Amino acid sequence: MSENNQEKGVPFYPDHVALEAKVALGVVILVVVIGVIGLFAPVGLGAPADPMETPLHIKPEWYFLALYQLLRFIPETIGATSPVLAIVLLMIWPFLDQKPDQSKKTVRTRFWLSLIAVVIIIALTIWGEVS
Amino acid sequence: MKSIYRTILIVALSAILVLATAAGVHAYTTANQSSSGYGTDLITQAPPEPEKDTCIQCHVDEEFTNIWTPLGRWVLFGGAGLILLFGIARSASVWRSREKWIPIPTRILSWVDERYQLSEFMKPILAKPVPDWQRRWWYCLGGLTFFLFLVQGVTGIMLAFYYKPTPTEAYASIQFIENEVLLGSAFRMVHHWSANGMIVMAFAHMLRVFIMGAYKPPRELNWVSGVSLLIMTLAFGFTGYLLPWDQRAYWATTVGTEIGGSIPIIGDLALVFLRGGWSITSLTLSRFFAGHILILPLITVGAMGLHFIMIRKQGLMKPL
Repeated sequence: MSENNQEKGVPFYPDHVALEAKVALGVVILVVVIGVIGLFAPVGLGAPADPMETPLHIKPEWYFLALYQLLRFIPETIGATSPVLAIVLLMIWPFLDQKPDQSKKTVRTRFWLSLIAVVIIIALTIWGEVS
Repeated sequence: MKSIYRTILIVALSAILVLATAAGVHAYTTANQSSSGYGTDLITQAPPEPEKDTCIQCHVDEEFTNIWTPLGRWVLFGGAGLILLFGIARSASVWRSREKWIPIPTRILSWVDERYQLSEFMKPILAKPVPDWQRRWWYCLGGLTFFLFLVQGVTGIMLAFYYKPTPTEAYASIQFIENEVLLGSAFRMVHHWSANGMIVMAFAHMLRVFIMGAYKPPRELNWVSGVSLLIMTLAFGFTGYLLPWDQRAYWATTVGTEIGGSIPIIGDLALVFLRGGWSITSLTLSRFFAGHILILPLITVGAMGLHFIMIRKQGLMKPL
């Protein structure tokens, strides 16, 4: 069955390479558009760094905002340790969950799990941005 | 017979090399004469009056604020010269041998292939069919992350030509890149947004792999290398954020390193390691700059190599 499916498809070169080149070309066009926008509206800079003067609202980049927002509600030691533990858990996850999928049900469970995680992260990020 | 063309080619190339060197030396010596000293403040210095200029071709088209014009000039004229020489050699060869010309890439490929049998190795890879289930958009997320990493590499090198990693000069050098350097603001914009895109793509790629269960045996180590790559991407963002040395950068880094410092037991060590001391100084900036442009790229390229070798060896996991 699987052997039969392997046969069906297109050759890697040139058909699949052409598809990949098209995707890459799309990204290149996007990059050029962003660059042209940058010519008229640069990223810009804030005020120069001043160690003597603490600004009122310090916010990290958006990808650390969720973590930053989380740290406001939980004690600092736990808050600083939990991301380290989360990364360790993420690292060793394949060694904890080794059973091959038997049905679509496990896939669906993981889908809902990650959807919940993503929604929480996005909510925390938005909350951190507006607060 | 062929040795004649080889001789002509070698002589011509040596002539180009000598001329190029002479031109470069001439440019530097005349630039030296007309300024207070080469290398210190040449970039910010305005060119002299046209009538007092001893070397007008050294800084046409605002040479001091961009590297592309001289680079482009060398590539254009050098390339044109090489094409001319190549054309002469090719015509002479066809005329003498009365045989069909074999393209240079074909010659190079067959020369390499004769010695290392690359086509033997490449043929199964190129001819291997890609099944239809692999040609879906969610399989391109990892590839896009890699592509954006390449974009980051190119734009980052462009920015590194003008960035100065010291507290007194960092801010001004970014202003210089945005206002004076040709296409500088475009490169900075692309570097900024491509960084954000890379994080989004890497995260989306991880979610795809997680949901499909592609981390299960025998692909555990590929997952581990992927998580390391995600951490590396975030570390790129964290170290790169300090480099402009504005208020936001300075205080975000203060808070970020403080979070690292509040980890029990290793906290103080982590804080001193990240800051190069107890507070954020020029040492922190050097440290972050070195991490951002040397250490992290090296580790990332290594981890990416492992990641790709593993996927090449094991293939994609077929979903249920």
